[in-house]
Amino acid sequence: MKRSELITVFQRMASEIAEKDFSHVSEESVIADLGIDSLGMLELVGSMERELKIQIPDEQLVGIQSVRQLLDLVEKRTTQTT
Amino acid sequence: MLGSPKTLVDALSLLPRDETRGFRFIGADTKERFYSYDAIEKEAHRRAAHFAALGLKKGDRLAIVVPEGHEFVLSFVGACVAGVIPVPIFPRASFKGLDGYVDTVAHICKGSGAQYLLTMEATKPFVEKVLERDSGITKLLYTESIFEGPTPAFTPPKVDPEDICFLQFTSGSTSRPKGVVVTHANLVANSQAFLGPAGLGMVEEDMAVSWLPLFHDMGLIGFILGPLICNVCSVLLPTSTFARGPRIWLETLHKFHGTVTYAPNFAYALATKRVRDRDLAELDLSHVRIAGCGAEPIQAQTMRDFVARLAPVGFKETMLLPSYGMAEGTLAITFHPRGTPLVTDIVDHDAMKKGEASPVPRGTPKSLELVACGVPFPGHEVLVVDEDGKALPERRVGQIVTRGPSVTQSYYNNPEATAEGWKNGWLQTGDLGYYANGALYICGRIKDLIIINGANYYPQDIEWALGEMDGVRRGNVIAFSVQAEGTEQLVIAAEANSGDVERLKKQIPERVYELTGLSTGYVAIVGVGGLPKTSSGKVQRRKTKQLYEDNLLAEHGTGRVGDGGDEG
Repeated sequence: MKRSELITVFQRMASEIAEKDFSHVSEESVIADLGIDSLGMLELVGSMERELKIQIPDEQLVGIQSVRQLLDLVEKRTTQTT
Repeated sequence: MLGSPKTLVDALSLLPRDETRGFRFIGADTKERFYSYDAIEKEAHRRAAHFAALGLKKGDRLAIVVPEGHEFVLSFVGACVAGVIPVPIFPRASFKGLDGYVDTVAHICKGSGAQYLLTMEATKPFVEKVLERDSGITKLLYTESIFEGPTPAFTPPKVDPEDICFLQFTSGSTSRPKGVVVTHANLVANSQAFLGPAGLGMVEEDMAVSWLPLFHDMGLIGFILGPLICNVCSVLLPTSTFARGPRIWLETLHKFHGTVTYAPNFAYALATKRVRDRDLAELDLSHVRIAGCGAEPIQAQTMRDFVARLAPVGFKETMLLPSYGMAEGTLAITFHPRGTPLVTDIVDHDAMKKGEASPVPRGTPKSLELVACGVPFPGHEVLVVDEDGKALPERRVGQIVTRGPSVTQSYYNNPEATAEGWKNGWLQTGDLGYYANGALYICGRIKDLIIINGANYYPQDIEWALGEMDGVRRGNVIAFSVQAEGTEQLVIAAEANSGDVERLKKQIPERVYELTGLSTGYVAIVGVGGLPKTSSGKVQRRKTKQLYEDNLLAEHGTGRVGDGGDEG
């Protein structure tokens, strides 16, 4: 999956979970700035896992703060499982 | 019910050997592992023998940072059989700054005096950093390797009811963490109270379902230790599995014919939002007897919304069981009578500020609706008292205090905090409440604890870290929470120069997130000297919150002038 598609998935999932419009969110954004706390973040990760058919263990989420870091991780898992 | 165990160790040997009774652990990978009580007892003895062979003796503390439920539980009970005192510590550092996590683990280890820390390979990369800190930990043990090989010869020590069963740390971020000392007698008394006839009234056919964290009282005692003492079967999901897809909670209740579950208020709100119409077609929750709610303030509207959303699948209001408890009370302190409708009290907000719970009709402007949390268990006392410790009449607000066989007696190795927490044998809960028609209502806190998503945060910890930031002066920053849109929101108020406002409004939430994983609802930056202080120069947290709520904080750019500096 292309990076531009991944960010679209992120925007859609984040908007659903936080019930806000995140279509403007870029890779530079810090997730905390979007008003998503660690619980919301886990739900977001869960949604992306189901959508992209991947699994991201808890340990790999340590220290993830920006959208870019999260997408890097998702991208790595996508290429590993396909 | 079982004979009558006096300790957790007794309970293990009294449990029925029936192969169908025990705990079912569902892994993060969805793999199921079933352990019968018989298997749990045998494995506990095997692990106890290995702990003893490693040199752990009765009374030694063992820090446990183990992410997988079954490994955690088997190691915990194994330690208890060896007379070793487990110190459970949360195993996840997700998203939060690693440094803050390692500091917390190190502080708890140091406070407990543990020399060994048990963990797993998966958590090694962050847990091993504890060895670089002043934690007192000399050796890390891994569940994958220490229980290998033939079982060493081992004679279990005698474990008495007054012996410490485990330490429950309620705060770890400060250098003086508080570890609640839970004895076997406390644990057995509380378990028999909340699972017994006056509590959940558990019977052999019951099936408990939980995703609550196992390193914390509600999950650990409610769904592991209590069930071992009272012969209850549990299905256990990882907390992170629930967080990643909240619907799994209801799906698991359905799949395993769960009859008893528990969760904080936020989880009921989340589940209500996340259940889709098509899920309703596949769910049946009519077999649920009890859906308990605790660990944070209970919102009547959240409860009603949940009932309304799930009524089509057989969920009823009488299944809800509002409860009140805390680690210092071992777990449960009061329960609403099971199987009865919710009871709420609508009171005047202004009278409440003066300490009076005056009932007003529903819909009255500036009214509050509170959910009744029931009555104490037999053999336990719960009073609402004034500042002199004198019991108050009904509808007068005061501090909730309690005593009884379930109530713990001290914080481990911390006489100062113990002297504050217990007075004349009564636990000072720090919560404000009142009685009305015999039921206890919780309406606030004396201690400025912040509770969000069922987790406790100490404002001092957040303030201390923010005081380190460039442009913020140590001691001139305040963290508190306010109710907004039906949830608790974190607010930070800090003194700074007007030139730093924009930068701090961005950086403070980032630092808070790194530290706690919480999102900050609002950052108020006031001019230097703009926060209310005592005569000794200490910032007043409650006064600051009041000013914020009344829209009177002198924020930069608002033109308001602060009234700080004159408060005695």
